[in-house]
Amino acid sequence: MAQALEGIRILDLSRIWAGPYATKLMADMGADIIKIESVDRMDTTRGGINPPSGSGNYPEAEPGEDPWNRNGWFNSLHLSKYGVTINLAKESGKDLFSHLVTISDAVIENYRLGVLARLGFDYEKLRSLRPDIVLISMPAFGNKGRWKGFVQYGIGQEQLSGMADMTGYLDEDGPMKSGINHGDPITGSHATGAMLASLLYRRRTGRGVYVDLSQLDSSVSLIGDAILGYQMNNRNPDRRGNRHPYMAPHGIYRCRGDEEEWVAIAVASDAEWQRLCAAIDKPGLADDERFADVLSRWRRQDELDAVLSEWTRDKDSNDVMQTLQAVGIAATPVESAEMIFDDPHYQERGLMELVDHPSTGPQFMPGISWKMSKTPGGVRWPTPRLGEHNETVFGELLGLDDAELSDLEAEGVIGKVPTRDN
Amino acid sequence: MSETEGLLSGYKVLDLSSGVAGPYATRLMASMGADVVKVEPPEGEQSRREGPFPDDEPHPERSALFLYLNVAKRGVTLNLDTPTGRAMLLRLASWADVLVESYQPSRAAELGVTFEALHEVNPALIMTSVTDFGQTGPYKDHAAKSLNHYAYGGLMYITGRPEKEPLQMGPRVPEYGAGQNAFVAMLTALWHRESTGEGQHVDISMAEYSASILENALTMYSYTRHKVTRMGHRGYGRAAWGMYPCKDGYVGVIAGPAHRWPAMAELMDEPRLNDERFSTARGRQVYADELEALMEPWLMRNNKREIFEKAQNMGIAFAYVASPGEIYSWEHLRDRNYFVEIDHPEAGTLDYAGPPFQPEGVPFDWTPAPLLGEHNAEVYGETLDLSPKEIVTLRASGII
Repeated sequence: MAQALEGIRILDLSRIWAGPYATKLMADMGADIIKIESVDRMDTTRGGINPPSGSGNYPEAEPGEDPWNRNGWFNSLHLSKYGVTINLAKESGKDLFSHLVTISDAVIENYRLGVLARLGFDYEKLRSLRPDIVLISMPAFGNKGRWKGFVQYGIGQEQLSGMADMTGYLDEDGPMKSGINHGDPITGSHATGAMLASLLYRRRTGRGVYVDLSQLDSSVSLIGDAILGYQMNNRNPDRRGNRHPYMAPHGIYRCRGDEEEWVAIAVASDAEWQRLCAAIDKPGLADDERFADVLSRWRRQDELDAVLSEWTRDKDSNDVMQTLQAVGIAATPVESAEMIFDDPHYQERGLMELVDHPSTGPQFMPGISWKMSKTPGGVRWPTPRLGEHNETVFGELLGLDDAELSDLEAEGVIGKVPTRDN
Repeated sequence: MSETEGLLSGYKVLDLSSGVAGPYATRLMASMGADVVKVEPPEGEQSRREGPFPDDEPHPERSALFLYLNVAKRGVTLNLDTPTGRAMLLRLASWADVLVESYQPSRAAELGVTFEALHEVNPALIMTSVTDFGQTGPYKDHAAKSLNHYAYGGLMYITGRPEKEPLQMGPRVPEYGAGQNAFVAMLTALWHRESTGEGQHVDISMAEYSASILENALTMYSYTRHKVTRMGHRGYGRAAWGMYPCKDGYVGVIAGPAHRWPAMAELMDEPRLNDERFSTARGRQVYADELEALMEPWLMRNNKREIFEKAQNMGIAFAYVASPGEIYSWEHLRDRNYFVEIDHPEAGTLDYAGPPFQPEGVPFDWTPAPLLGEHNAEVYGETLDLSPKEIVTLRASGII
């Protein structure tokens, strides 16, 4: 079946998560992504050259002979991409890259500000090679503004974008970090949007586009309502634990399993409260005037939480979900990775896909991020080992012969074995 | 050269969605020049009832959430619980390139908002459904609030302190994030349509968005059966890679690559940080308590902004925990013209968070969010060829 983005070719110089996530969303839908690393500077998410046994994200926690090809985190982000190595510091490396630019639609990079230009490839240079090229440039703070030279990772963007400040426990006076580095997928998805919108614009106008994508701007976009709220009332949002400005009950409740089993329940209206009372078989609760309306429930949340906890405490979180969902109440287990693996809904929708990889064997990977009826996308091949597609891309696509490839390898411009640790 | 043309000028979007996710997706399209018609029920959509509001006074035209999410759109009202309303929707659907909706699948079927029905009147239509659990699977009609997106999507389980219960986040990240992916998916479908003329149904789930961005958690479990759990302020249990208290708040102490570690001792004026045990990420993890005790005095003597700028000027990727008010005051964002001043007839002039990315030389559209039903006459006149008299009739009968 034809895929939606078939025929688009992207040169991907990005590292870590944000950029690779951006191009993953396009690789899933059929675009040709050429991921460019080098043997002396591979993507840091490939991990070290010789990590100790029992550490890191390797199959059965064993790094093996080629740990850089066996890292689960890296291997989940580069499915269906072509992997090549080019040392861009060397002249023949620059030639290879230039040649690729002439036959590509776009370049995406998240180097520190100025690095791509120092390598000899600013936007003007790229345009001289391919006049309608799209360049997505995504340094941490953008390409202009007084902090443009500052550096950052997704972990810091969560703090700089207000998200950490707005998150926290009720019994602590401080912010809380989340479990992931939200700055990365947020910026990554915005970068994919920038890419596709620019390609559609080019299709219409014939003109290429240079996009200045600041990871900070991108992350602050997700608290746009709080930015307006601050101007309205000169006040920042309260940290509210697991509670809500007007819903009650609203929180998570311990279930009968181990210490780590909870169910999340949120009730917005009187009608929902009455349905919940009818479903949980607590005599008198529906008529209990302490909880008669939205306001009294909100004021007496501690008491309300105690009542609900008593009911959930000896139950399975899935049973609580089924009982309450049967009457339209928002109740879901608090799922761990293990529960997500075993969840019938996620399984039926194919959240995880079994992907066979030559260095790891078959492993489950997060698959396609959404469904499309005509062009569903799919995993076409596993994440490339370092330099795996050098022959395909430089040989078949650019027409280099075996002798030329050997020369480049001897010169250290291309290769398949890392020469420097991460 | 038409410098007035946005990245997505010319596309027509019919937006039936409410809340955050769908409206954020169409906000991106509208600000890039697409003609987005927002369709609300006659009483207005949910986000008009959510705050914050000026002086904490609820008002359907002054909700910060609604104002932010709906800039650059035209607004109409339509009662889809009536046969006339549903018939008008089908005619609007033949006008549009893209239709966005966020009903629970069973509710969408009741209202006739199904891909089959819409595809029949407009085979080239891209229909984008942005829902809690998606269009298939045993839980597709389950109910959810923001809390449940965090809980069921796996983000909550790994957020918070190990000794405490899992924690939701304050901002509505799974909804915004699903909105971002809905935007990407719509553009993907438009690209395909440009080549083939073919429309299709796009299915986005907010819970699934969360489950798709769990970083290492799913692959760790897949590869090693190791369960990633909560790690408080320490990213992946590492030290000098997380959030730490300082004199006036919290800073992000974020150690870069190994060769940059010596800069940390210089920054904090603490030579003992150069101890070889701390020179690798793994060593810092093993000796985390000792390392943190060495950093603490300097952190507690200094303010977050000074720490951030001093470290950054040495090339180290520090951050600090900033509030929306602090972010609003940053000169860096002013230098970038990030905030956009928009004057709204009911909410007045405010600075809005602007574009998430800046395509050089290509303009954005920043007209204010529509008042309820503001563009009824204009849109229904233009797209359905209704006369002013017919529009009065529809209004009187509660259809619009």
